Amino acid sequence: MKGPRPISIKHIGLAFVTGLLVLVSLIGGFSAYQTRALTHNLAQHNHDAARSELAAAVQRLLSQTEDLAIQLAEWDETRQQLVLPEYYPYWRDQRVYESGILPSRLLRVALYTEAGTLLEPGTANLEMPASLPTGMPAYQPSTWLSNETGTIALYHAFPVFGDAQRQALLGHGLLRVNFMPALLRPDALHFVDATSVSVALKPGELLSAADLLSRLNFSARTDPDQLHFQTILSRTLLSLFVLLISAALIGFLVYTRLLIRPLGRLSQDIDAMQHGRFKPGPSHAQTMRISELERIRRSLYEYQLQLHELHGSLENQNREFHSQARQDALTGCHNRRAYEEDWESFRQGLKADPQGVAFLLFDCDRFKTINDTYGHAKGDRVLSLIADALVMALRANDRLYRLGGDEFATFLARTTPGQAKQIAQRCQSLLDASVFSDLGINEPVGVSIGIAFCGSDEIEHVNDLPKQADIAMYTAKQPGRTRIALYGEDTERASQTLVASRETSALFQALASPGMIELHYQSIHALPGRQVDYYEALARIRYHGTLIMPDAFLPVVSSRRLETEFDLAVLQQVDADLSSGQLPPRVGISINLSAQSISRPEVVSQLLELSRHNARHPLMLEITETSLITQMVEVRTYLDLLRTVNYRIAMDDFGTGYSPLRYLVDLPVDVVKFDISLVNKLAEDNRAAQVVADFARMMSDAGYSLVAEGVESDAVLRKVESLGIAHVQGYLLSMPVPLAELAAGHHAGRGTGVAQSG
Amino acid sequence: MRAYLLCLLISLFPASIYAAVVQQEMRSGIGASADYMAGASDKPAVLLLHGFLQTRDFHTVASLGRGINDAGYAVLTPTLSLNVPNRSQSLACEAVHKHSLDDDVAEIARWVRWLKSHGHRSVVLFGHSFGSLQLLAYLSRKPDPVVKGYVGASLVETQLGQTDRAALIALLEDRVRSGQRALYTGSISFCAKYPSTPEGLLSYARWDQTRVLDALKQVPVATKLVMGDADFIIENNWAKALQHAQTPVVIIKGANHFMDGEHEFDLLEHALGFLASVPPPRPR
Repeated sequence: MKGPRPISIKHIGLAFVTGLLVLVSLIGGFSAYQTRALTHNLAQHNHDAARSELAAAVQRLLSQTEDLAIQLAEWDETRQQLVLPEYYPYWRDQRVYESGILPSRLLRVALYTEAGTLLEPGTANLEMPASLPTGMPAYQPSTWLSNETGTIALYHAFPVFGDAQRQALLGHGLLRVNFMPALLRPDALHFVDATSVSVALKPGELLSAADLLSRLNFSARTDPDQLHFQTILSRTLLSLFVLLISAALIGFLVYTRLLIRPLGRLSQDIDAMQHGRFKPGPSHAQTMRISELERIRRSLYEYQLQLHELHGSLENQNREFHSQARQDALTGCHNRRAYEEDWESFRQGLKADPQGVAFLLFDCDRFKTINDTYGHAKGDRVLSLIADALVMALRANDRLYRLGGDEFATFLARTTPGQAKQIAQRCQSLLDASVFSDLGINEPVGVSIGIAFCGSDEIEHVNDLPKQADIAMYTAKQPGRTRIALYGEDTERASQTLVASRETSALFQALASPGMIELHYQSIHALPGRQVDYYEALARIRYHGTLIMPDAFLPVVSSRRLETEFDLAVLQQVDADLSSGQLPPRVGISINLSAQSISRPEVVSQLLELSRHNARHPLMLEITETSLITQMVEVRTYLDLLRTVNYRIAMDDFGTGYSPLRYLVDLPVDVVKFDISLVNKLAEDNRAAQVVADFARMMSDAGYSLVAEGVESDAVLRKVESLGIAHVQGYLLSMPVPLAELAAGHHAGRGTGVAQSG
Repeated sequence: MRAYLLCLLISLFPASIYAAVVQQEMRSGIGASADYMAGASDKPAVLLLHGFLQTRDFHTVASLGRGINDAGYAVLTPTLSLNVPNRSQSLACEAVHKHSLDDDVAEIARWVRWLKSHGHRSVVLFGHSFGSLQLLAYLSRKPDPVVKGYVGASLVETQLGQTDRAALIALLEDRVRSGQRALYTGSISFCAKYPSTPEGLLSYARWDQTRVLDALKQVPVATKLVMGDADFIIENNWAKALQHAQTPVVIIKGANHFMDGEHEFDLLEHALGFLASVPPPRPR
């Protein structure tokens, strides 16, 4: 199930700051909107107030003008001027101001006669009209405005009476007020923008005071307090906005520095730890300012240090385990696992770097005998000394591997066959120089060395080196050899025999094709009656119509280490012959097996399967005594198992192998077959014949059933009979015959055969 | 006595509101008015004249007129026009002064004639301050025979301040002779700035203390002067000079030039005393 995608704490911080800014902007915008609305209302209020103020100012000016007119009309000196105008200019230009009647020079007054003409027109009074407007009521005041070349003048005409009863009209007074300055006194208007006030009046046009307000144009003065308030509010909002933005940015920086960056660092460290790239450095020891993060960092850092130490410890242990896993505990050299890994790696390396390679296989001669004779402890010590000698003999960079038991191997890089042989000889020399007598072993201890080589131009055959070295090693083990054999040179004969001959081809075809192995049966006779007791099944290979004898293919089997495969094929053929029903009933069959095969489970399994014929044909297994049995315990176990299913065990070729007595002691042997070399001694008249004879009697006395092989003369037969040997086998009595011939002979009541080797 | 007069003034006060305003055209277009309060026919009428540039409404004059009228005397309190049509206000010092002492004397004569034309056979002229001088100037010319007495309260000559009277008079006379009509601004009485026609100012300037004393000596009717010893407007030796002019002079202690306050009653008392001494008019 896919969960929501994780959000970075940095994005959360950015979102918070952005949200805060948006919120501040919204609040700022709302405040600005409210401020604008308030400003509009205040402006409207100001405009209304300005209108009222201006109307009041106009009214006040008119009232003041009327009051002045009344004062002037009632002033004695005004009347005096209308009657005695001799000093009228003095009165008009000086007296009215000095007396305080007219407070300002912006005000002008002129007197007119009863007829409305200017008093003393000759005197300079250019601002005042020469006569009063026509139609003006004589006994009533009258007010009007006039545009005089851009100057708005307010005129107020008033009658001047000579008596208190206002009956005797002396004349008229005319007040002229410079309208705009008088109206727009600096201290008179608070709401009206004085500079904006104007009167829509054409030059020369007269405007009645009643229509004045409708002709006034004005603008409201911006309230300083309002402006101040707006300025303060705007500055406050701006300051608040800037403050909040600054606070948000500073908060984000602090948030980044205190939280995001440390968390990012922790996250990177954790990722690095997860991928194994974490390397503690000075930056990781830097203290974080947030206590919780600092605790996490410290815990993580200390945990990582512990983990690092643990990792190092584990690596050391792994290296140690790996080394131990690759080391042979007994000898200290590399074990089979190391061999397999190194050989694989070496082979891979050869592809990129072709070079001459020599593979050396070491096998201790007669080690089993030594082991059995002197015990496992000394046997182990012998192996250890051998390993030490071999390691010393090898080059510095060469490795010695113990493949198992007493078998060692090494492969030499960048070498030649000659160098490989020299090294092998040095190995043998050092080994020969080794003192085994300290272990109480007086007999010589040596190794057979098989060498296989492939040049840099034939690297594709490097995989064959172990097998070739094995073949060479067995070649070296053959009697008469120098115990060092180079495959392809010392095994030349074998090569010619095994590789080039048709027998080799026949062998491999026989192993691949059931039926090519043909069993010939040689009778074994019981003494003294010489009746046939059982038959030994002897393998032949029929190849293109001719019969290939064992002495031609058995070396191939041995050199190619095909014992098991060959024995399985033989057993398969035995089974077929037994199942064919051609063998006489209750006639036993003796089957030859190599010592290597008897320890192979598949062979044992085949034998157990074959044991079903025991009821009709008692079966006996013949184990070649010349074969070196390395796995004695397993062999004994399997032989005991086979005996439970009524197999009898025979020691074949007794007298030719390495440790006949050891095998007789350790293995459940029922029958001992004296080799023809021993049997032939019986015909001689010497001490050797006596020894064999005595040995035969001793064996019989020990309960072994003896079989004398290779009896080819009557003298030998008689000697054998005289020694009380239970059975005899040889060309003298019968030749091995094919199954068909055996069956025919049986039906004819006789046993015939053709001479062959046993 | 003062308390009595005060009570009398209060009790008879409503009668004063019945004063009639009398108007006469002194010159062409120049009307003048006076309050006339009728009195007993067997008592002399009193022409009560205000001071310099004042009107009959000046409190000393008004209260004195009411007091005298309350005592049964007919009282006429004119306001000299000073060549201002129907002048009803004190004329400011700085106003255009087109009047002269001659005009004033002429208007006094008109008012004496008006009293005479209204049946008064005995008239006592009662002046305050400069009004006393104007009445004295009238008396120095051929006064109407109905004038029987003269009371000058706080009589003062034409004061010119620091101005050299002789030089001023010479200057003004020169202007008058040369027909210069321009206003001359001088200092007179309490007016430091007094724009006047040369002949107008000249008419007043000629009346110095000497001329006043001379005029007093030649007054053809019973005369009484009432002065205050706290009158700081007159010169210190003026009262003594008056006493040596063989004119009865009453000095009211503590009274200033306007004799206001409680000294109004002292003045009234002395006025009534003088009026009582004036022989009643002979019946027709």
